[in-house]
Amino acid sequence: MTVKWIGKRMMLGVLVLFIVSFLSFFIMHASPGSSATAYYGGNAQTLTAAEKERISKAFALDRPLPVQYGAWLKQAVQGNLGMSAGVGRPVASILGERLPNTLLLFGVSMFFIIIGSIWLGMTAGMRPGSLLDRGLSAFSIASSSIPAFWLGILFIYLFAVTLGVLPSSGTGSLGGDGGFVDKMKHLIMPASVVVLTHVGLYARFLQESVKAELGSYYVMAARANGVMEREIRRGVLRNAFIPYLNYLGVTIPSFFGGSVIVESLFAWSGLGQLLVRSVMVKDYPLLMGGIMLTGLIVVISLFVIDVLMYMLDPKLRKGELGG
Amino acid sequence: MKSRKRLIFWCSLLGLILAMTIFSDLLATQPVNEMDLDSVYSPPGEGHLLGTDHLGRDVFSRLVQGGKVTLAVAGLSVALSFVIGVIYGGISGYAGGWTDSVMMRILEALISIPSLIFVLAFQAVMQGGMWGMTFIIGVTGWFTTARIIRSEFIRLKDAEYVKMAKMFGTPVWSILTGHLLRNSLPPLLVVTIFNLAGAVFIEVSLSFLGIGIPPSIPSWGNMLYNAQNDLLIGAWWIGVFPGLLIFLTILSINFIGEALKKSGRGRFHA
Amino acid sequence: MLEAIGLSVKINGIPVVKDSSFFIPEGKITAVIGESGSGKSMTVAALLRMLPVDAQAYGEICFMGTDLLKATDEEMAVLRKRKFFTIFQDALNSFNPSVKMDRQLYAFSAGRVGDDQDSFQKKMKAILGKLNLSSEILNQYPFELSGGMLQRCMIACALYVKPALLIADEPTSALDKVVQKEFLKWLRLLNESGTTVLIITHDLDVVADAADEMIVMRKGEIVETGAVADILARPTHEYTKRLLDSRF
Repeated sequence: MTVKWIGKRMMLGVLVLFIVSFLSFFIMHASPGSSATAYYGGNAQTLTAAEKERISKAFALDRPLPVQYGAWLKQAVQGNLGMSAGVGRPVASILGERLPNTLLLFGVSMFFIIIGSIWLGMTAGMRPGSLLDRGLSAFSIASSSIPAFWLGILFIYLFAVTLGVLPSSGTGSLGGDGGFVDKMKHLIMPASVVVLTHVGLYARFLQESVKAELGSYYVMAARANGVMEREIRRGVLRNAFIPYLNYLGVTIPSFFGGSVIVESLFAWSGLGQLLVRSVMVKDYPLLMGGIMLTGLIVVISLFVIDVLMYMLDPKLRKGELGG
Repeated sequence: MKSRKRLIFWCSLLGLILAMTIFSDLLATQPVNEMDLDSVYSPPGEGHLLGTDHLGRDVFSRLVQGGKVTLAVAGLSVALSFVIGVIYGGISGYAGGWTDSVMMRILEALISIPSLIFVLAFQAVMQGGMWGMTFIIGVTGWFTTARIIRSEFIRLKDAEYVKMAKMFGTPVWSILTGHLLRNSLPPLLVVTIFNLAGAVFIEVSLSFLGIGIPPSIPSWGNMLYNAQNDLLIGAWWIGVFPGLLIFLTILSINFIGEALKKSGRGRFHA
Repeated sequence: MLEAIGLSVKINGIPVVKDSSFFIPEGKITAVIGESGSGKSMTVAALLRMLPVDAQAYGEICFMGTDLLKATDEEMAVLRKRKFFTIFQDALNSFNPSVKMDRQLYAFSAGRVGDDQDSFQKKMKAILGKLNLSSEILNQYPFELSGGMLQRCMIACALYVKPALLIADEPTSALDKVVQKEFLKWLRLLNESGTTVLIITHDLDVVADAADEMIVMRKGEIVETGAVADILARPTHEYTKRLLDSRF
């Protein structure tokens, strides 16, 4: 049963990557102009005939579409995503430069969202009727109704323009040393926008599942028998955490979507900003590569969450929920 | 009682915004694209209720007209995803068995892909006008609807009255629409309302990024495209008013959705 | 040991227990019998002070000199921990599904009396052995055990703490007849070691099998009380007579 569950989750990841790769390939071929030109990147004029021949052979450009897809997939798996049409450099190396920034923003904001929502959700859920309990859902709805980019604009106006305490955009100061402190200063605003627009949503979810757990039969049985409140809460949290983790997994894709916008607003040179820019200038190879990489990151995140769920939920571990 | 009052409040707020955009032609004091280069960046006040932008266009007029575009795009795309979702989820749920599991695996994978990625991909190959946007948001927004419909159909198709109808030889089509779909409406309504909020979100975000609705058509998102620069020179009104209106629209949609979800909680278990 | 005087429970103003008075003698097994809706479970909830939020109890419940309805939350917490032990109907759901049994049994038994882990392990394993339960269950999760096994685990905890009063709310209704018989046997065992038992049931067999005293409840009112042998031989109230007749 357990094996079946793992198999199912793995299959999902493979399917996601397959759909994403298909989507990428589709973009390439639906794009205006000869698809070969897209593979040459912006270098169609400067490439020698031999080089063109080599590319054409690697991507099976003279063969039917399904074969081309296979060839392209094979190259992609090996890390060859072609050349950027705009910059004329290998897509893989451009993505490689952008990836750390995206992971930094993603990691830092996720960290604070998780810490913040656990604290808020737990405290609110454990104290039914308190101000926090009643206020959290309104805060959650309100904060998730603010478009992230608009909050970002207001932040820029407040902290960068009016107060002048934080840099308005970018990943580092021009002429700065590119050091850690400088980068962190640039990270504060985009990360806070992502955290503020998401933390309420997750906190509220945890709050509601804590409340549901507190009303359950086993809590009544434990309370009736004078089991220590600390022990009861420990168990309640453990159980409330399982759906919370699941929710985290379900919302990670849309969370990623949101960070694309925030990255663009703050000119944070990550994958999201790259994706938007490549749509604007119609740099298809770059867009394809970016989409593939985003898909991969989502699949990996989902896998990490699956592993955590597996560790936390004995029913899953013992195969009770295998089917 | 108190929650009912609250629902009425949010409904009227949304109704007000809707009415404002529907009657935008009457309300707008200037043509949306009329530029007045003599009065660029004039602050809210006489002549221009909410000021003018960097081309001297009237912010208030653009705001009401832009709302029409934004809400039309959101509304039509949600209608499209409603149809696709109901068909996909309905087939999956009613057919059951292998068809269902294959369709669900695919759906699960689709849900795992950030929908913004789909939107960007489509947007890159399509020449996105207003209809293009509507289409793109519509075809990438039906996943949750399909899931809800499927679970409702599975729940309902074993209900006694559905079995009876089958026994009496009621045609499949009328079972589907008359019994299954009609009884799935409450949860479907909730998810559609939340989808609407999501669609507004996507339109304004993409247009803000400059890859949504073409700049010649005013939409709430488009109006914010330059807002960042405008703010830097102190013209706060250009960004604040559309943003506030977007916020209020999404907020009231979300509150209405929450209220409906709560009132039908017993039925909403998907 | 425990005496209720004029106890009433109202849910949203609607009475579910009406002006009931009864007495639970020390060292005996007393059964409260009634159909569902007779108010027997609400009576227990009232004396444990675990009524639903919209319910309110009136009257007096005296336990060893304290009025349970007027006791502070702290006093109640101490009583639940030191004097009472409560077994509920649904054993499967009485344990937290994602916590291992040893931790939960510890909390239900040794945690109450303040024993350390070592003496808990030793004593609990001995009790489990007596109840025909393997000590391996300590390493398992509740969902891996059956309802009967879990109900035995509850009894094991009661045997561990030897409470002054054991309250069992429909403890056997989810069990099959064989397991039910065994359960009652252990209940008597516990009673012999000095615990007063209050058992709530709708099953006359359980009463006949285990109880010394009985209280018959119907529609929120007590219709008859007395020794089990007397009532079974000479029921006075119409309802009790019908109850006896329907038993096969």
